[in-house]
Amino acid sequence: MSRASSRQLFDGYLDPRRPHAGAYDEMFDPVDGVRTAYKRLHDSLQPLQPADLTTRSEALDRALVDQGITFSLSGEERPFPLDLVPRVITASEWSRLERGVVQRVRALEAFLADIYGEQQIVADGVLPRRLITSCEHFHRQAAGIAPPNGVRIHVAGIDVVRDEQGDFRVLEDNLRSPSGVSYVMENRRTMARVFPDLFAKHRVRAVGDYAVHLLRSLRAAAPGVTDPNVVVLTPGVYNSAYFEHSLLARQMGVELVEGRDLLARNNVIYLRTTEGEQRVDVIYRRIDDEFLDPVQFVPDSVLGVAGLVNAARAGNVVIANAIGNGVGDDKLIYTYLPEILKYYLGETPLLPNVDTYRCWLPAEHAEVLDRLDELVTKPVEGSGGYGIVFGPDASPKELQAQRRRIRANPRGWIAQPVVQLSTVPTKVGERLQPRHVDLRPFAVNDGEDVFVLPGGLTRVAIPEGSLIVNSSQGGGSKDTWVLAPRASGEDAELRGPGLGTPAVKPESTPEQGPELNAAQQQQQQ
Amino acid sequence: MNWRLRVVHTTGYRYATAVTQSYNEARLTPRHDDRQNLMVARLETIPPARAYKYTDYWGTEVNSFDLHSPHTELKVIAASVVETSDQPPPSAEVTWVQLKSADVLDTYAEYLEWTTYVPKHRELSAVARSLRRGRSPQETVLAVSKWVHDTLKYQRGTTGVHSSAVDAWQAGEGVCQDYAHLTLAMLRAVGVPSRYVSGYLHTKPDAAVGETVVGESHAWVEAWTGEWWGFDPTNDISIGHRHVWVATGRDYADVSPLKGIYSGEAATAIEVTVDMTRLA
Repeated sequence: MSRASSRQLFDGYLDPRRPHAGAYDEMFDPVDGVRTAYKRLHDSLQPLQPADLTTRSEALDRALVDQGITFSLSGEERPFPLDLVPRVITASEWSRLERGVVQRVRALEAFLADIYGEQQIVADGVLPRRLITSCEHFHRQAAGIAPPNGVRIHVAGIDVVRDEQGDFRVLEDNLRSPSGVSYVMENRRTMARVFPDLFAKHRVRAVGDYAVHLLRSLRAAAPGVTDPNVVVLTPGVYNSAYFEHSLLARQMGVELVEGRDLLARNNVIYLRTTEGEQRVDVIYRRIDDEFLDPVQFVPDSVLGVAGLVNAARAGNVVIANAIGNGVGDDKLIYTYLPEILKYYLGETPLLPNVDTYRCWLPAEHAEVLDRLDELVTKPVEGSGGYGIVFGPDASPKELQAQRRRIRANPRGWIAQPVVQLSTVPTKVGERLQPRHVDLRPFAVNDGEDVFVLPGGLTRVAIPEGSLIVNSSQGGGSKDTWVLAPRASGEDAELRGPGLGTPAVKPESTPEQGPELNAAQQQQQQ
Repeated sequence: MNWRLRVVHTTGYRYATAVTQSYNEARLTPRHDDRQNLMVARLETIPPARAYKYTDYWGTEVNSFDLHSPHTELKVIAASVVETSDQPPPSAEVTWVQLKSADVLDTYAEYLEWTTYVPKHRELSAVARSLRRGRSPQETVLAVSKWVHDTLKYQRGTTGVHSSAVDAWQAGEGVCQDYAHLTLAMLRAVGVPSRYVSGYLHTKPDAAVGETVVGESHAWVEAWTGEWWGFDPTNDISIGHRHVWVATGRDYADVSPLKGIYSGEAATAIEVTVDMTRLA
């Protein structure tokens, strides 16, 4: 009976005629069947009837609406619908990915320190000076600012994808104000409420302690004070990530402030409170560089704090992430990551980049223009998928416009072959269908260690064949499960007292009825 | 010839109503090099403030200060004593081919790019190219400076701090800042790396020791033709003991002498005075 329903649920899943059939499916190997990582998840899903799937999905939606009350109260719409099938990463896959992310963060830290200091990498002829000086986010205002513990990348979001062979590759680095970690925590919370049974069958590593790591990193960054005062600086409630700003401030137990709450006097930053002024030591800011200090940047910005940059220069306050980090996540500079890694660490990349053409090199420029209809062209700066042109999907008119833009500003563009992002089963209608995903792991640097949150934001493209995972393109998200090593004592999700069953019953067949009841009861609490 | 000069530069703002907060950066301290020796420099503000000093990306000394008590006028007085000498004629000289080399293009990229004040302009570039014909890079710098000198009419107060090289050229007049920007626009058009210099000019060549004259906040250019050397297109003269330099950058925006943010109603600049006294 379960065979019949399985055929329904996964019916035609690996259809060879599906778009991008060459993509790596994370659940199914075309020859060997279900991959080890997904074995238990598959065994749990397989017996479900399509109607069960719908019931589960509705339970998930209710849980989201439940939390959505919080969201709408704070003026936030939830941009990513959460899919009910989690994305699973094995302990060994994660360990490789984690090492690669740590290596990258370390190299980029050294790079930023050098670029805003002596620029030795340029003096040694490893990188052209023009590569740096032409970068839109190379902020000369930050030259000579040396953070007390040397950290500039307190939080990094390194976007990775899995190629046709299943190997992780870095698509882009985000070193300014990477957002999305609140979805990682909220997705997990929701999934744990709706699918406690699934967590009982897996050793999923916890993501709920992110704020502990962030706070530790921010406190470690403080300029020589024993009990530093940390604040989160937000542009305000109308910012699309305000929910995340307030969540992080709440979880860290620190003040959430706006620019007008802060004041610079004699290069010291103070927080205005009802009990008078409080000195501020570390500002975790979620405001772009350009709006941070009207003395140094956009003069009519009211979001920031006048005098903040020189307070940081004087060593009296730490801005996290540091000003000018955008020079490290410029997509042209990204193409030089192998050189940067070799220069500062003497290492080769543990995580390869996606092959990239540099439009500013004449030879590659010509090739990009020749093959515009098969390449993906991206602006070197900016995020959120803005300005990206998928050659194969573009009309001749769009390609012509893109050709003009690239010719006018070759430094502003890079091109990549279409990467067939890996697929994970995703609920589409009443069936599970392969849909393309990416992953943003979050790394936190406290100056001693780079901690990578075991999980990350998995974004999924919902339309069939779509490789664009941005929320504006109808993207959703998945809970990302990093499995604990078999013999480890790592805290797994829902292992604590009072949360689910601590015992693992690996070979047990999932029972549907009672679990659904459990889920529904939780909804009513 | 060597001079010792005292420079007292007074600038600031007057406000319609009292200002309770202001944040400022002054770039008013003369620099030190082979031609110029800074002996002493001091910055004073009224109302008084504690200044924080740092050296910016361009090597300029910056005095940053903030005010938190109500005031209707801010006065900044920068005083310094410098020893100056005449700039020797540039010794090294490159060819046009060398200026086009990848190495030069990379090293001096920032001084070859267009800015708001120094924009690309087809007609101006054509003029610059015609001036280049038959000349070496060094000779071209002199020819362009002379052309700018002859083309613009010096007119105090005609252009604000926001006008570009092209604005000044189309108006046919301007102040030293416009002369400098226009020269830069033409030099960059023919591939000569060039930068903006801010400083002071002593206006009386035959001044006696001890005599105080009314000097000027001034601007000129430096070009790279194998080494950096300066020229003064406003007066069509080479850089000598009457020039005191403070800062260099891509254009005015990188070296603006006094900039800041304040809370309050409209401000007017107070009269800027530069007193220059030849001490030796």
